[in-house]
Amino acid sequence: MKKIETSLDNLQTDIGEFYKPNRHHFMVMNAVDLGVDNMELQWFFCDYVHPCEVTVFSAQTSPKVTIPSIKKIVASAWVAEAELVDLMNINIDGAQKGFVLEPDFESGPLRKNK
Amino acid sequence: MATQYEIPVGAQHIALLEPLHFKFSTENEKIIDTTANVGYVHRGIELACCSKFKFRQVSFVVGRVCGLCSISHTTAYSQVAEKLLNLDIPIRAKYLRMLVIELDRIHSHLLCLSHVAENSGFEALFMKTMQYREFSMELLEAVCGNRIQYDFSIVGGVARDLKPAVANSILERLNHFKPQLNELVDIYENNWTLSLKNKGIGILTKEEAMRLNVVGPFARAAGLAVDVRDETEDLLPWKAVGYEMVTDTTGDVFARNMVRLREISVSMKIIENVINGLPESPLLIETKAFPEGEAVVRLEAPRGELMYYAKGNKTQVLERLKIKAPTFSNIPAMAETFKGNEYASAPAIIASYDPCLSCTAR
Amino acid sequence: MKTFFKAIGNLAKKPITTKYPFEPTFIPDDYRGLIGFNADLCIWCRRCEMACPPGAIVFSQAMDGQQTYHYNRAVCIYCSECVRSCPKEGAIFQTAQPAPCALKAENINNGWNKLFAESLESRNIYAAEKKRLTALKAAEAKAAKPSADSSEKSS
Repeated sequence: MKKIETSLDNLQTDIGEFYKPNRHHFMVMNAVDLGVDNMELQWFFCDYVHPCEVTVFSAQTSPKVTIPSIKKIVASAWVAEAELVDLMNINIDGAQKGFVLEPDFESGPLRKNK
Repeated sequence: MATQYEIPVGAQHIALLEPLHFKFSTENEKIIDTTANVGYVHRGIELACCSKFKFRQVSFVVGRVCGLCSISHTTAYSQVAEKLLNLDIPIRAKYLRMLVIELDRIHSHLLCLSHVAENSGFEALFMKTMQYREFSMELLEAVCGNRIQYDFSIVGGVARDLKPAVANSILERLNHFKPQLNELVDIYENNWTLSLKNKGIGILTKEEAMRLNVVGPFARAAGLAVDVRDETEDLLPWKAVGYEMVTDTTGDVFARNMVRLREISVSMKIIENVINGLPESPLLIETKAFPEGEAVVRLEAPRGELMYYAKGNKTQVLERLKIKAPTFSNIPAMAETFKGNEYASAPAIIASYDPCLSCTAR
Repeated sequence: MKTFFKAIGNLAKKPITTKYPFEPTFIPDDYRGLIGFNADLCIWCRRCEMACPPGAIVFSQAMDGQQTYHYNRAVCIYCSECVRSCPKEGAIFQTAQPAPCALKAENINNGWNKLFAESLESRNIYAAEKKRLTALKAAEAKAAKPSADSSEKSS
């Protein structure tokens, strides 16, 4: 598993340079709650070549910031972003609530500060 | 002049096996746009695995995410926990895991094929495929002790051994099933009325499949040669037991049926090779350590690539567990394949895509 | 056309369904059945209770220290983790007997929740009582010691 550190400002340029549709496959986006006001976001990619390597782009940020979306680079990312918006109560640019949980549900059941 | 309608294929529908919700915008009878909604069976499994259950008990919890691919979830979780504990499991346990994964693939593909036949209107073929599927459920009961929730892979190895009498009965019943499979291939390939409902319906091209990151038989039928068994050799030795990749070119419902039928025959070959070449070794490896670090594992479930990410912090309870189901990756492509088709083919397309909503909205 | 004639031919054959439960179904001899317990071999370490994923085993403790084993067949998932975690072979084992259905009179869900809470509470009460008795004994031993020293000095 190869981990590449990035930040929210460089996210779209980094992933835009890395991702080639005929070579890479976007798996999922994940968020790990690290405690007080700190969250690690991860974007998982894998290869179509053999042996396949998993590449992870990781960024640490506060959950109150609006996170840029990678929908324009990876067309199928809207599903992963919609799920994290519901489960982790974070803001992603352009993602609506209500995909996995009900829209009026008190959001963020996977956060640790409860 | 064309009339615009908004038709919901709701969570409760007579043609759906899974609680999925689509809202189609149609013009007369052709579908032009779709919105999807999942989450009707969200049970909070990721949260439960990180708060209530200890890391050894999580393999039993995770096996109950889905009924059809239960072994894929338990095996993938066991592999990720073994990576966090730095364990290398004995070779007999690896072979037995592959045996149950392939038996599970046979029964899952036959279920999907029968459902496609039913949604295309061919009820007699649905009944026949279900009759031929029954032998695999009895074999799974003889090997694992249960027809659906196997509880077979645990952290460190497998729970039960394969007795020689059971191994012989598996080989015997697979021989009995071979002519039945040829009969099914003949009907699915050559029947004229079924082809009217399946050929040219729900087409996904190879470029679209790459752009939308699809996985599983859905991608292989479009010509995209992606299969996790071809890519990962370190955890389970697939190529050593005769695995082969199966692809097709057209990308419609007919191609997906053919890919699934050919994968069933590849699975039968793998099962025979595993039983004839089963090595001797212990079944389980014990350790007293606690998981720490991060790990990622990918596994080929019957519907596509299943991914697990786990993070441990040297205690009995994991810090984070993330499950990515194959149907989750296929949802954007699903919304795209509907466009341009008639509304009456929507049930057949949904069935051929083989959704498993329990995995998606855990 | 071939399928049509085959479908007509099926009318003459008998059905393949097994009318379970009126007809018996196949039960292998290593079927995952009910969990059995042998109180004479048990060493009361409670490792089976800690290993059980759904929490179907609980031990309650009386005031004289004797523990009692309780098992709920409706909560159990028959995974045999308890059998694997037991250090003494034969104290807990899995039979091949299928579990019978639960009747309303047994109150198997809410009654079990109450029993579980009471068992944990009884263990806490026993542990607190034992701690109090140990502290009392230690205080008595300490009070007896200086009087023995002073009686030695005077004689």
